[in-house]
Amino acid sequence: MSGSVSFWRSAGLSLLILALFLGAWEIAVMPKSGGGGPALDPEYAALLGQAAAQGGTTPMPGPSAIGVRLLELLADPFYVRGPNDQGIGVQIAYSLLRVGAGFGLAAIVAIPLGFVIGMSPLLNAALNPFIQVLRPVSPLAWMPLALYSIKDSAISAVFVIFICSIWPMLLNTAFGVASVRREWLNVARTLEAGRWRTAIRVILPAAAPTIVTGMRISIGIAWLVIVAAEMLVGGTGIGYWVWNQWNNLSIADIVIAILMIGLVGLALDRLLGLGARAVAWRE
Amino acid sequence: MAFRPRPPSRRLAACGCGATHDSGFACDVAPADGTGAHGEVAQEAVLRAAFPQAATRRALINAVGAGTLFAALDSVFPLARAREAMAQGAGAPEKRDLKIGFIPITCATPIIMADPMGFYRRNGLNVEVIRTAGWAVIRDKSIAREYDAAHMLSPMPVAMSLGVGVAQPVPWAVAAIENTNGQAITLANKHKEKRDPKDWKGFRFAVPFDFSMHNYLLRAYVAEAGLDPDRDIQIRAVPPPEMVANLRADNIDGFLGPDPFNQRAVFDGVGFIHVLTKEFWDGHPCCAFAVPRGMMTETPNTFAALMRAIVEATAHASKAENRREVAQAISGQNYLNQPQTVVEQVLTGTFADGLGRVQRVPDRINFDPFPWHSMAVWILTQMKRWGQIRGDVDYAAVAQQVFLATEAGRAMRELGITVPASASRTHRIFGRDFDPAQPEAYLNSFAIRRS
Amino acid sequence: MTAYVSIEGIARRYGPTTIFQDVWFGIARGEFVCLVGHSGCGKTTILNILAGLEAPDDGSVIVDGEAITGPSLDRAVVFQGHALMPWMTAAGNVAFAISCRHRDWSRAACDAAAREALKRVGLDHAADRKPAELSGGMKQRVGIARALAIHPKMLLMDEPFSALDALTRGALQDEVARLVAESEQTGFMITHDVDEAILLADRILLMSNGPEARIAEVVLNTLPKPRTRANLHHMPGYHALRDHILDFLIARSRAFKADAPPAGWSARAVPEVSPALSAPPLAAE
Repeated sequence: MSGSVSFWRSAGLSLLILALFLGAWEIAVMPKSGGGGPALDPEYAALLGQAAAQGGTTPMPGPSAIGVRLLELLADPFYVRGPNDQGIGVQIAYSLLRVGAGFGLAAIVAIPLGFVIGMSPLLNAALNPFIQVLRPVSPLAWMPLALYSIKDSAISAVFVIFICSIWPMLLNTAFGVASVRREWLNVARTLEAGRWRTAIRVILPAAAPTIVTGMRISIGIAWLVIVAAEMLVGGTGIGYWVWNQWNNLSIADIVIAILMIGLVGLALDRLLGLGARAVAWRE
Repeated sequence: MAFRPRPPSRRLAACGCGATHDSGFACDVAPADGTGAHGEVAQEAVLRAAFPQAATRRALINAVGAGTLFAALDSVFPLARAREAMAQGAGAPEKRDLKIGFIPITCATPIIMADPMGFYRRNGLNVEVIRTAGWAVIRDKSIAREYDAAHMLSPMPVAMSLGVGVAQPVPWAVAAIENTNGQAITLANKHKEKRDPKDWKGFRFAVPFDFSMHNYLLRAYVAEAGLDPDRDIQIRAVPPPEMVANLRADNIDGFLGPDPFNQRAVFDGVGFIHVLTKEFWDGHPCCAFAVPRGMMTETPNTFAALMRAIVEATAHASKAENRREVAQAISGQNYLNQPQTVVEQVLTGTFADGLGRVQRVPDRINFDPFPWHSMAVWILTQMKRWGQIRGDVDYAAVAQQVFLATEAGRAMRELGITVPASASRTHRIFGRDFDPAQPEAYLNSFAIRRS
Repeated sequence: MTAYVSIEGIARRYGPTTIFQDVWFGIARGEFVCLVGHSGCGKTTILNILAGLEAPDDGSVIVDGEAITGPSLDRAVVFQGHALMPWMTAAGNVAFAISCRHRDWSRAACDAAAREALKRVGLDHAADRKPAELSGGMKQRVGIARALAIHPKMLLMDEPFSALDALTRGALQDEVARLVAESEQTGFMITHDVDEAILLADRILLMSNGPEARIAEVVLNTLPKPRTRANLHHMPGYHALRDHILDFLIARSRAFKADAPPAGWSARAVPEVSPALSAPPLAAE
């Protein structure tokens, strides 16, 4: 009906929804008034957690508790106090490094291979069954196989990212290349452009938006996979950090980790969105 | 919980190394305590130094015999030390920078505390203790040599050396026991009135791993009450932090797990401590400091230094007056990452039991490094009892290969700790005596078993 | 004289159906030839064969003494849809063609030549715009500039103005007439528009309906040059020429049967007529 929405109106509504959600959450986790159960021996009570001492179980933290903890973590995000105790900024950096390596490798393999597959219907038909079978395999299934054959856990993590994030780029590149307009190819032919020049100056720019879309999907998958992989193998990284806080049953930290994971994922997507805008073309 | 059945291949066979040993057992190499080839070389060298002329040596040996000759030499030259020194190398650790993996539970206290309290440094080692995600990961990283040594459940090196639960047998060893006791059965609060095991039909329990003392003790405990652990209850392998969460979510009725998670369940108001495992077998082994067997020959000095550090740390932790200090050192974010009061309650033995009482059990957890062979034999009987291994087992040979009583004994001796005269003894388990010399009889005395 | 471009017996079949066969004609250097006929007679196919984009099922095409084997810079094509690459600017599109022709020219040189070519079609002010920012007529002009910029031996145009509105079409027709006359460009164009053919062509090939289409007749355009839309319909003979072609399109294209052609017709020597000449002179004012 109407045209584009005013930024302030949509932002205002988002904030309102967020405030309502947080408010409801805070109320839900507030301790019920009046401690339950009989009076406890003070020495005994001193040995228990705060909630248990009042006869209950340690509750889910509310937004205020999480907010306090978030400020604590962000106050010093890059400290290193031992191999098992590093700031959340450092952990995210480790994860990003692994993602960069795995995604980069996947791009280097997927885009040229996708190009070749897109230009050759025979190769496309021949490789398609393999691609379709390997594509849905979960990273959690690849991990043990990688650890068994590669043995090194760092390389295994990068391999798992590689093998899971390669497929969208491969398929999108092949599709983009195969769907380049016949007309433009004919123009290139009549201009005797030659295979290489046609590939670089006609096919690549024509397929670029589809390729970058594939990259955007892939980076999302890579980020998802690294968190899962790190939870399995541990050491460093945001996934490991989640597992570690889980060990301590520290739910606030886990919620914060989820928030961080989401924000970083958003940033990565936006980064590639810029790339998409750079190669976009309109008729 | 499902066990993978092993093919009956526990026959003795000759190996390429020349010695005959169990075919399913990984090959051993010359021991480093002076009784092997290295020791004889040392003896020869001393003899030549004393009597440079070959003719003289031959004449003397012909006259008085080699034994008398060496005894005479021994009185003026410490042959035994020479043998040992020859076998052990010059003394400085070959490899200083080590990585040791651990699971963040109080069982690993000596391994962990040796870092902040300086025991590794004091022995010339630069050790990084690395918190690991789970037992399977620790095993795989150890096999891949990403870790030089690791914290493992004491049955794990036995299983690995026998090829159970791994692709092929890998020679692993328990160099020292990390802790004794230190576990408990924790039940959900709703079972406060149901504490008799006979009422536990249909309960769901969690243990940390298939090849663990926790699994064997739980099974033995319910079997003593007449329940079949495979038919009357459910047992699942669950990582320790998830045990508390599962208890809270009513996914399990209880668990037999490591501390600090029993105490953590009480701390969070989720469960209560039903019984400490020390009541089943006071002094039972739990976790181990595990190394690849090759370490003793490839890097003997490093191994010796590590042993000294671990045994020192264990001895320090075993004293009641040090427990608080240790708790403080290991609770932090870099190690256990648990509230200090929880760790303190476990280590000092003054704890809230979840039923309203403060209990005082000073040896709720204890630290004694000696890896008794008889402990290994008990583990083997239980592995056989529940079908984790099938066929014949050479109990004594496996125990001797995997539980390195000699090496631990040496480190203990160096630190002035009394070493037991024999590596085997009887243990009092579930109110009965266990004689390690009669493993089959012990096994056959059980009504509830799988094999 | 041997024609500069000689089409010799080309045919096109799809399975059992023959779209056309036995097509023979020539194009002299500097000559502009139009092909007129109904849809389905294979006009675009003939153009594609001439361009080298398709291979005929029979026969061959000889250009300047050599048989063609594929597409070539010597035979530039202006497509029906403009076929501009949307990620390049107008200048970029033309420069791309120029750089294909002159492999050793620098980027700057190609760019300069591109702008020159765009100036000739009156688009130098829009040289840096992307195709999305150009109108339909402007885009087609860029297409024409691109084709002319590489100085091809022959210009091939496939209904280049059919996608444009009438006013733009008219303007462009004049412009192409001018450009072709200026450069004496050899050209071959397919069109539906009779007026367009009369405006631009020296000879108009009339094709019968498919299947089994043939070149039925060649009409010589004897109207004087230079021709523009403004003066065209005032020229003597124009109406006769136009009526002749329309008559063909309305009735004779359908009536023509390849297996029973009218007397005097042969595939290799298609009859040539000059309707404009036989028209009675206009009554003196």
